[in-house]
Amino acid sequence: MTQALSLQAVSHCFDSAEALQDVSLQVAPGECVALLGPSGAGKSTLLALLDGRVRGWRGRAEVLGNRLPNDRAPERKTRLETGFIFQEFALVDRQSVYQNAINGRLGRMRLWPSLWGRYSAQDHLKTAIALEDTGLTELAQRRADQLSGGQRQRVAIARCLAQEPQLILADEPVSNLDPAHAERILELITNAAQNRGIAVVFSSHQPELSRRFAGRIVGLRAGAVLFDKPSAMVGNDDIRNLYHGTAPGDGLRVVG
Amino acid sequence: MSRILVWIALGLAVLWAAGNADIGLDKLPGAGPRLTEFLGRMMPPDFSVWPEVLTGLAETLRIAILGTLFAVVLSAGLAVLASETLVPSAIWRPVRALLAVIRSIPLILVAMLMVGAVGLGPLPGILAITFHATGMLAKFYAEAIDNVGAAPLAALESAGASRAQLLRWAIWPQMAPVVLRDTVFRFELNLRESLILGIVGAGGIGLYVQTYVRSFQYDKAATVTLAIIALVLLSEGLNAILQKRFS
Repeated sequence: MTQALSLQAVSHCFDSAEALQDVSLQVAPGECVALLGPSGAGKSTLLALLDGRVRGWRGRAEVLGNRLPNDRAPERKTRLETGFIFQEFALVDRQSVYQNAINGRLGRMRLWPSLWGRYSAQDHLKTAIALEDTGLTELAQRRADQLSGGQRQRVAIARCLAQEPQLILADEPVSNLDPAHAERILELITNAAQNRGIAVVFSSHQPELSRRFAGRIVGLRAGAVLFDKPSAMVGNDDIRNLYHGTAPGDGLRVVG
Repeated sequence: MSRILVWIALGLAVLWAAGNADIGLDKLPGAGPRLTEFLGRMMPPDFSVWPEVLTGLAETLRIAILGTLFAVVLSAGLAVLASETLVPSAIWRPVRALLAVIRSIPLILVAMLMVGAVGLGPLPGILAITFHATGMLAKFYAEAIDNVGAAPLAALESAGASRAQLLRWAIWPQMAPVVLRDTVFRFELNLRESLILGIVGAGGIGLYVQTYVRSFQYDKAATVTLAIIALVLLSEGLNAILQKRFS
């Protein structure tokens, strides 16, 4: 069975600073993995890379069985199989909740009907299901800029689900939300992924939430994997080490 | 210290402006009765000229509508070239400079040049409005393009949307209200400014203003003035309603 994603010795630097150092990682279909680490650990870079938005990295990466190119954007066909949930929601403010959600269908539509907004019955059905799953059916006609933070994040999730991805990547999906909303949103993402049998990788700097919602935790520090184990086996020492210890290969390394 | 210098400079500027005998401040005491007499001759307004006034207003409105339309078309193209996000600075800098030069030429001057170029009538008025309005509208449109939020774009691109789809569903929805608001605002300005174009022979109601004032028919000039006030208030009211809808 092909892995949902597979990284082998992936490195990347911004200017001279090393953002990712020799990262290797496998995620199986249906698995739920948390990327845990302090700010600047490389979590966002890693997720953006998996989404095909980073250029010039080294190593080998496969997402859903497709080799990821490091010098250009991936094919649209493969991009739409990976759903991405942004930290800052990334909604079109003046559009309705429904329009924002159905925007997730664009990649699956032919150009001409999509420009005129002529969606198929299938597009409407998938959007309606996504809104139902995220509890937004009542708010479908509300404009996105008239929603609370938690509701906006749910719209972003609905858009991602309407896209029918085979893998969900979520970059700090709850860091802009209060604790009560944070739990509900993570539950929503992980449940939706589980029901659809697809893998989800989310990043977080909150150990408790990661342990509760992910089956496996990958600790990132200074761009390198510090540990990679099932959530139940992540101890307080691991967490302390992750946030306060020194990372392997700390300091600048000259790379030819 | 520097604040005192500013005040001294301002004081000197006012003294220089006022310290010239040619202003004829001695005429000021007699101005009150003269103004009263002048206004008295406008009363009562002679409404018998309303067919001419209506024709003039209609022509002014046509000049404003067509001038705005052509300015919108030109601005759409120029805005792309003046956008910091879409083209390199080697292109948008000179284009923005050109637009600034266009804006700095007063409309009445452009109108006089156009009358010289294409003769009397509404055509030079339309050309003048088009030219003058493009300087402002293209800059506003370019700013609307540059102010589009990047995050929704990245999100839809990540979901597999093509460039044309991004333009339609991520860029346009964000800039449409700004473009509509700017266009309506510019139309109102065009209407106000085209009212005086007739004075230099570039068509519209201005011709009647000039004719009646020059021939001392102040009662007829009063009718024209009232009609202009009504039109401007009307367009301002419409603009206010539209602005509210586009917010």
